[in-house]
Amino acid sequence: MATLFGIPLAALSGQLLLGLINGAFYAILSLGLALIFGMLNIINFAHGAQFMMGAFVAWLSLTYLGLGYWWALLLAPLVVGIVGIIIERTMLCRLYKLDHLYGLLFTFGISLLIEGFFRQLYGVSGMPYAVPEILTGGLDLGILYAPIYRLWVVAASVVVCIGVWLAVDKTRLGAYLRAATENPTLVRTFGINVPVLITLTYGIGVALAGFAGVLAAPIYSVNPLMGSNLIIVVFAVVVIGGMGSILGSVVTGFGLGILEGLTKVIYPEASSTVIFLVMAFVLLVKPAGLFGKETGGAAQADNGHARSERGNLKTLGIPLAVLLAVFAVAPFAVYPIFLMKALCFAMFACAFNLMIGYGGLLSFGHAAFFGMASYISAYTAKQWGFNPELSILAAALVSGGLGAAIGGLAIRRQGIYFSMITLALAQMVYFFCLQAPFTNGEDGIQSVPRGHLFGLIDLSSDMTMYYFVLAMFALVYLAIVRIVHSPFGRVLSAVKGNEPRAVSLGYEANRYKFMLFVFSATLAGVAGATKALALQLASLTDVFWSMSGEVVLMSLIGGLGTLLGPVVGAFFITGLQNYLAQFGAWVTIIQGLVFIICVLVFRRGIVGEIQGWSSDLMKRSGKLNAGASHGESKLSTPPA
Amino acid sequence: MPDTSDLLVISDLHGHYGESHVLHGMNLSVRAGEVVTLLGRNGAGKTSTLRAIIGILGQREGSIRVSGTETIRLPSERIARLGIALCPEERGIFSSLTVAENLRLPPRLKAGGYTDEEVYGLFPRLLERASSQGTKLSGGEQQMLAIARIIRTGANILLLDEPTEGLAPVIVKQIAEVILSLKQRGFTILLVEQNFRFAAKVADRHYVVEHGKVVDEVAASDVTRRMPEIQAYLGV
Repeated sequence: MATLFGIPLAALSGQLLLGLINGAFYAILSLGLALIFGMLNIINFAHGAQFMMGAFVAWLSLTYLGLGYWWALLLAPLVVGIVGIIIERTMLCRLYKLDHLYGLLFTFGISLLIEGFFRQLYGVSGMPYAVPEILTGGLDLGILYAPIYRLWVVAASVVVCIGVWLAVDKTRLGAYLRAATENPTLVRTFGINVPVLITLTYGIGVALAGFAGVLAAPIYSVNPLMGSNLIIVVFAVVVIGGMGSILGSVVTGFGLGILEGLTKVIYPEASSTVIFLVMAFVLLVKPAGLFGKETGGAAQADNGHARSERGNLKTLGIPLAVLLAVFAVAPFAVYPIFLMKALCFAMFACAFNLMIGYGGLLSFGHAAFFGMASYISAYTAKQWGFNPELSILAAALVSGGLGAAIGGLAIRRQGIYFSMITLALAQMVYFFCLQAPFTNGEDGIQSVPRGHLFGLIDLSSDMTMYYFVLAMFALVYLAIVRIVHSPFGRVLSAVKGNEPRAVSLGYEANRYKFMLFVFSATLAGVAGATKALALQLASLTDVFWSMSGEVVLMSLIGGLGTLLGPVVGAFFITGLQNYLAQFGAWVTIIQGLVFIICVLVFRRGIVGEIQGWSSDLMKRSGKLNAGASHGESKLSTPPA
Repeated sequence: MPDTSDLLVISDLHGHYGESHVLHGMNLSVRAGEVVTLLGRNGAGKTSTLRAIIGILGQREGSIRVSGTETIRLPSERIARLGIALCPEERGIFSSLTVAENLRLPPRLKAGGYTDEEVYGLFPRLLERASSQGTKLSGGEQQMLAIARIIRTGANILLLDEPTEGLAPVIVKQIAEVILSLKQRGFTILLVEQNFRFAAKVADRHYVVEHGKVVDEVAASDVTRRMPEIQAYLGV
């Protein structure tokens, strides 16, 4: 048997072909993302869901309409594109003037909605889709036997990518597109209808995802979750390539697919993480990406959530005292396990909110810290017999260290790139936890002992444990209040408000962001560790990307950048999940809807809205008083 | 009083950039075939007036009539289709497009624009550099390109925002010739200028803008007589 460096050639070429196929999907998807990003300045998080939708349209049209593969190849992009256009016209178009992060949050909500919808209807098991007859069988290429369908996928993808590139680079419509990407306002003054162009671009971008979905249907089984894991890898591909050029994203897509295939032969354990490692490396040496152009400091759009809480510690102390008093009596009325869970998520959301609300950094990877810490505390408590305080400390240190590693990389880019990088690196942590022996993989670490606090107080009763969790919550909350109101916090809000300005005043913005990241990761770790002890369980759910999404949602619904908001949001979402747990995928659907509604009409969140109303009221009554006293002074002044 | 031959009539135009109120009741009119300038100091509202006319100023109130059509509520692509084109101060050449693509970018809106041959006759350099990247041209060439691309669309009202800014005297002279030949061909031109000597050479009338409104009007025939006044308006 022929070998190359000791590796059988057949295995090598077989994996290369598989890699090429993955690369084909990466290329089409990152191409669509790049197109959409260029025109809309939005990272389309729903891209994976739209890919899945394409596969489902193929399956549905075969099953219910008897329309075969070739019809699906035409129909699916059309359906997905039209649905995309409707979404863009009715909702997405309202977000262009806001911070780009809202676009990311909105499309994340859309992806939850689509995924939840299909899960509700078809479960997660996956439906087989047969390879069309004409493409069955294989070709013997000498060194390997290649199924014809796989060769077709690669060929179709190459043709589509080249087609899109030619259309953008060589045609008149493409020139409109490129010009509008640079300066949409000027292009409008030439009589070109840019809003229609934007809608069309979104439609075509998501249609490409739908097309890829049909190509994927016979290879992977058609199931509602097929898109969500893929999209995170595609985000990494996009970060590596930089979204500057169409051709760049195609080349990067294929190249990374091949690299992944190669890794599968040489060191299979790393094959799921190799792309994330490449991303980390590229961020270190060329932060703008291989084909990207470095854009000067982040042009931050109007920050809807740029409201930091003013007011001194005294006024903040009152709501905290009230809150703690309520929590102190709560377990006599409400199931303490539920309260503990909600309090742990409240800590987690507060830690997350510290970054977005006071640093303007939207991390989409906070589950990594929460989950890793919950594993560490569960493991040290169960295997090494650590006391609760020690296991939490160990977990906090580990997640702080992880935060330093991830934060150090992520702060090299700004805005939505930052979000994509944190998401991708967190996915790497997830794969690590999936494979590392100490986490017990799918089973997780169960029946974690709660132990004796300081070796003295037995925490095994739910009530005692509850008060311990409450104390931890109070500690985390006070730490955050302290950070926010410290000189360090003031510098952060300066950096968030206007980074170039803060830098020009001599502050090393990146150092501050880095420290904030580490703080936030550590506190998220405390939350995760406490949760593992309280619920006596550490599992993969804690470290999965959907957990990162949940914490974003909690903070968003409670009010980004408010101190109390995340607490309110955490209780809201945990309560929602508790009530809806019996309805299966409805939880995802409702979470998606809540996301969408929050982003569209309720951006300040519950606490933010209440604060807004009360300050409006105060302003109004202030004005009235001023008017009244003005009138009085007039009256009381005797005419000269 | 505006009469029926007025192609562009602006009355009581107010404009805002976000919070700041920049136009405070502009009134002006331009007749078909005229070259009219807006003179004034930095920040007087000249560029904002042009941006308001083409519909890209954040918020506008009042009235802007183009060939009798009220445009105050129209989006800028609809306004453009009435036959108006803007040559912006920063020139707005697209770096991801070649010179030829930049030139052909604005679609033809009406009959009567320059043909490609005529454009290249007027600006031979653009043909020589047709395939280079738009922003690789020199400043003067970019200015020529910015003018060239809006005269081939059939737009009959041109809004030129400081076409001579930052250019060498020899190029300024060329641009003056171009504007005069555009005028001969019947284009109506509203020109924002800081360079009064240049403006005086090409324009029929001048409006003086201060604090977001027109404060005076000077006909070309009166320029010599009213020179001290004009200098007072523009002096620092």
